[in-house]
Amino acid sequence: MIRKRRSASCRHRWPIRLARTVLLAALWFSQAVRADSQHDFLVFLSAERFETFSASEPELEGLSNRATADFLYVYNSDRFRVLGEYIWSDSESELERLKMGWEFDEQSVLWFGRFHAISNYWTTEYHHGQYMQTSISRPGLEQWEDKSGPMPSHITGLWLEKDFSPNARSSLSLGLAAGLAPKFVEDQLVPFDVLEPESGQDLSISTRLVLRPDALSTNQVGVSLAHNDIAVVSESSPELADLSAIRQTTLGIFSNWQLRDWRLSTHWVYFDIDMKYFDGSVREDFVLGYLQTEYEATEDWTIFGRVEVGFGEDSSRYLQLLPAFIAHRHMLGVRWDFAASHGLTLELAETSTQGTESMHDSFKEFRLQWSAVFP
Amino acid sequence: MERRISVRVQLAKFLILVLIMLSAESSWAEATVVLVTGKGSPIEHISSLDIRKAYLGILVKIDEKTVHPVRRRDDKHLNQIFLQSVIAMSQRSYERRLLSLLLRLGTPRPVMVNDNDALVQMLTSRPIAIGYMWKSDAEADDRVRIIKVLWQET
Repeated sequence: MIRKRRSASCRHRWPIRLARTVLLAALWFSQAVRADSQHDFLVFLSAERFETFSASEPELEGLSNRATADFLYVYNSDRFRVLGEYIWSDSESELERLKMGWEFDEQSVLWFGRFHAISNYWTTEYHHGQYMQTSISRPGLEQWEDKSGPMPSHITGLWLEKDFSPNARSSLSLGLAAGLAPKFVEDQLVPFDVLEPESGQDLSISTRLVLRPDALSTNQVGVSLAHNDIAVVSESSPELADLSAIRQTTLGIFSNWQLRDWRLSTHWVYFDIDMKYFDGSVREDFVLGYLQTEYEATEDWTIFGRVEVGFGEDSSRYLQLLPAFIAHRHMLGVRWDFAASHGLTLELAETSTQGTESMHDSFKEFRLQWSAVFP
Repeated sequence: MERRISVRVQLAKFLILVLIMLSAESSWAEATVVLVTGKGSPIEHISSLDIRKAYLGILVKIDEKTVHPVRRRDDKHLNQIFLQSVIAMSQRSYERRLLSLLLRLGTPRPVMVNDNDALVQMLTSRPIAIGYMWKSDAEADDRVRIIKVLWQET
């Protein structure tokens, strides 16, 4: 009996041991290669006022005032990198990313650790750096797991990034990632937590191909393909009582293009969902996407708008498990950049969340935010 | 007596003119920005595209070694010229671009130094480092070598 308990305890503690070993190895390695090393530390700060206007109270983020601090630390040596990102806010305190990268040749990096899912375009572009994104809100499609995001945002495992340069000016990047997918608990996806590891996750595999016709500009177009085996904690909610697993396959296409003062970013994802119940399975598919346009009126002022829509998602059983998922949104906003690195942004939107039945819950949003980065 | 005063006035005017011309010549000589490296650096030539790449956070190698770009924090005018003529971006766009690469991939930003002396020290301690300065400053310091002219006032 005692032996069994020990064995179970050991089984649960292996990720901690592994994480410790990797951290020790990283520290040793960083000492070994520190001759040509560089450290960077950034703090992204933001404070937001959020109001909704509707007949019924929408089941949304819950906080009308929110302050967030995102701490980013990066260590670089000639061939070795460590990146850590920790977020603190009124509602959460979490190690978002902790990854170690080895540049085994000039154009290839192998990352190990917890990273943002490479199939999520917005997430891999802005991460938690609120100051870096023009808008205050994120598209519902690219929302974080704990904000009813439909796709896994955090994966713990391996990620290989390889760059090919067809010529001196353009670049083609291939990303391959495999690791632990989040599991479904209550009404959200819950990713593997490096600091408080728990077992029960299944596999996530994904790939992404990005073409930058001009490697020196931010213009890019890409495709992604991902498969996530999402384990379900059936006992966590009556809604999940008969559900044992969710198999999610996504195919996405995205682009970010700037032409003079205009910038257009868009991401469309086809979802194939297989809901595994104890007495059978239900298969469904739908498409979610958004189009965001930005106009740089002056160097300091930017006007922007975003349309978020879905096709075939109204009656999705999977999305009904995520009642606060933003299904539709028509948003307009303006941003003022001032001083060296401060932004003040205002956003107005007409929004619908998925709701628990086939009818969406509609309401209006008002957001005002200050964001900055230091140093 | 009046004649003597007139000669003195003319001489003074001439001297003032000479001084103005000399100072104009000196500021003209300063209005050239050059790319520099340490005296012992193996860098002989680097293309404009590679300079731009290095300062935009894209890996550039010379003799199998990574080129380390160094930025100046102190001289606003010099920085403005550098950003306009070499990077072809506004200060804000450039800073955002570097932040984005750091946030996404952990790509290090160019090292920032506070003055000319710190730049020279950085260039001499890292053999594959490049930096920019006024030509007059580069010519006056025998620890650095000019690789190419980046900008010249016309």
